Amino acid sequence: MSSQSKPFGLWGLIRSQWLLLLAVGLYLWAFAVSPEQASRALGSAAARLASVAPLVLAVMGLVGLIQVWVSRDLVARLLGREAGFRALLIAALCGTILIGPAYLIFPMLLAIQKQGARWAVIVIVLATYAVKLQMIPLEVGFLGWKFSLMRIVFTMLLAIPVGLLVEWIVERPERRRTREP
Amino acid sequence: MIKVGLFYIVVIGACYAWFWRRDRQKTAKSLQVARQSLLRVVPLLIAIFGLIGLFETYCPPELIKSWLGAESGVLALLTGGLAGAVAIGPPLAAFPLAGSLLESGAWAPAVATFIVSWISVGVVTLPFEASVFGTRFALLRNLLAFAAALLIGLCVGLLL
Repeated sequence: MSSQSKPFGLWGLIRSQWLLLLAVGLYLWAFAVSPEQASRALGSAAARLASVAPLVLAVMGLVGLIQVWVSRDLVARLLGREAGFRALLIAALCGTILIGPAYLIFPMLLAIQKQGARWAVIVIVLATYAVKLQMIPLEVGFLGWKFSLMRIVFTMLLAIPVGLLVEWIVERPERRRTREP
Repeated sequence: MIKVGLFYIVVIGACYAWFWRRDRQKTAKSLQVARQSLLRVVPLLIAIFGLIGLFETYCPPELIKSWLGAESGVLALLTGGLAGAVAIGPPLAAFPLAGSLLESGAWAPAVATFIVSWISVGVVTLPFEASVFGTRFALLRNLLAFAAALLIGLCVGLLL
């Protein structure tokens, strides 16, 4: 989605849909080698896709609303560079309470980033997303509260440094370009 | 999941209805953006789910469990991190698996690393993340999330 240009022809198709072609290729190979296992894989893939289809639809609707209705100023003020450390804290909080599969969170986060949120915010949300607030009771049940508590504390502690580090590296080429006229 | 999805569709639909009354033009633009991003995401999602299905069948949790024996040390930590990175599935499945690993005598830091890496590092979803955010960002984020998982696992395991 990062490339906005629309390539044409076979090469363009391969470039834009290489992942789908890879999946199809792997399935053809799997069906040739072991049809039974391959059809089981295909069945579980289809069932899962069907079960998330409504959620996908809803999230894309949300992406449309964010891009059009949420003002750039507001996002920049809350989650941009000018928000300072508060933006990072908001991101950490949102990450812990966020639910849903990662592949649906990516497009939503991209919409927010495009509206002016800094890169560190995206990374922090994805890092603290591993806390899984709603699943803590389950985790405690299986692993004990001590294990669970420490895992969460360290996940939270590392999220912000990692976020800033990723942002620093991602934005390095841009900074170099602006320094050399 | 279907119920949750339908619930969200109703909520988002209500938002659209409300915005529609406020400003038709802007809401129509929202719908257009939604349709465009949907069309872009659908082939990717089909591909990712296809890969997940293959992965589940050919690389089931039992196999992952057999990678994480009772060894300890740097190698076990790396194995835990890598197993978590390639593992696919809801975190709901990670906890019982991790619990049974601990019971069967696996090293605690490796198990903690396994969980964190399972949730925050995704090798199978990496192509998708790259196509959304760009390859550079996706690689970097997953790499650092992996390093963080190792560190978190080590801290948890040693303090336990």
